[in-house]
Amino acid sequence: MAIAKREEGKKVNSNINVTPMVDVMLVLLIIFMVITPMLNNKVNVDLPKVSAAVVMENANKEDAIVIAVTRDGKTFLGADQVSLTDLGTRVADLLAKKTDAAADKTVYMRADNRANYGNVMDAIDAVRTAGVSQLGLLTDNSLQ
Amino acid sequence: MGMGGGGTGGAVSEINVTPLIDVLLVLLIIFMVIVPVTPKGLDALVPQPPKKNQPEIQNDRTIVVQVTSNGAGEPGYKINDSDFAKSAITAKLEEIFATRQEKVMFVKGDANLDFGKIAEVIGMGHTADVTNIGIITPRVAAGQ
Repeated sequence: MAIAKREEGKKVNSNINVTPMVDVMLVLLIIFMVITPMLNNKVNVDLPKVSAAVVMENANKEDAIVIAVTRDGKTFLGADQVSLTDLGTRVADLLAKKTDAAADKTVYMRADNRANYGNVMDAIDAVRTAGVSQLGLLTDNSLQ
Repeated sequence: MGMGGGGTGGAVSEINVTPLIDVLLVLLIIFMVIVPVTPKGLDALVPQPPKKNQPEIQNDRTIVVQVTSNGAGEPGYKINDSDFAKSAITAKLEEIFATRQEKVMFVKGDANLDFGKIAEVIGMGHTADVTNIGIITPRVAAGQ
């Protein structure tokens, strides 16, 4: 039982252990891959909190027609700002591409909680001229 | 050395759960990020203009919920032409539609209001199990 000899000094392993780093990096990569498609093409609006809202799975799809009305009265189609006069024709163009009978022809509305209702009605009127009858008013999805 | 566990010969019989917990925690975080993103909303309809040469069908059973503006104060609520308190609307709508086959109502809001107030009323309609809620815009009202 002599004093235990420490062996580390003899052969120093000079390589950095990269395994944990790669581990963390891969996790970060996956997290950002998941989050990124959710962040783009969304106008930042403060949606109203409402009881009795139902899940609208289709509103997140690539081909969903989403109109946003912000608090300062601007209208957006997807991520681009459009004027009310153009909105009808552009929505009609988008609807014309949905030739499939089973396609979801609902137009989704992301209107700010404090947006002027007159502006919202103007936007609804504009899409009404495009022949839209189904409207989905998106609301805050956080838990109440 | 007697009881010196983890020595040269003794195999460790416990499963190493650390990587398992690692992976599960990452999956938990990823799903925590994804789940709240499912969009929710309220279904609404936009009445289309009546076809030409078609007589308008007068219907005295139509229910219109109006939201009127009181300047800066709380908005006023009306079902058809009688005033109601905000808290009494859901109950009244439930009473009206309990015996009806066609669950249709219309929402008409003052243009000066915030969109959130009208979204609340549409939510109340859905709470009262009204499946078809139409939004009356100025051009719908004008019959265009």
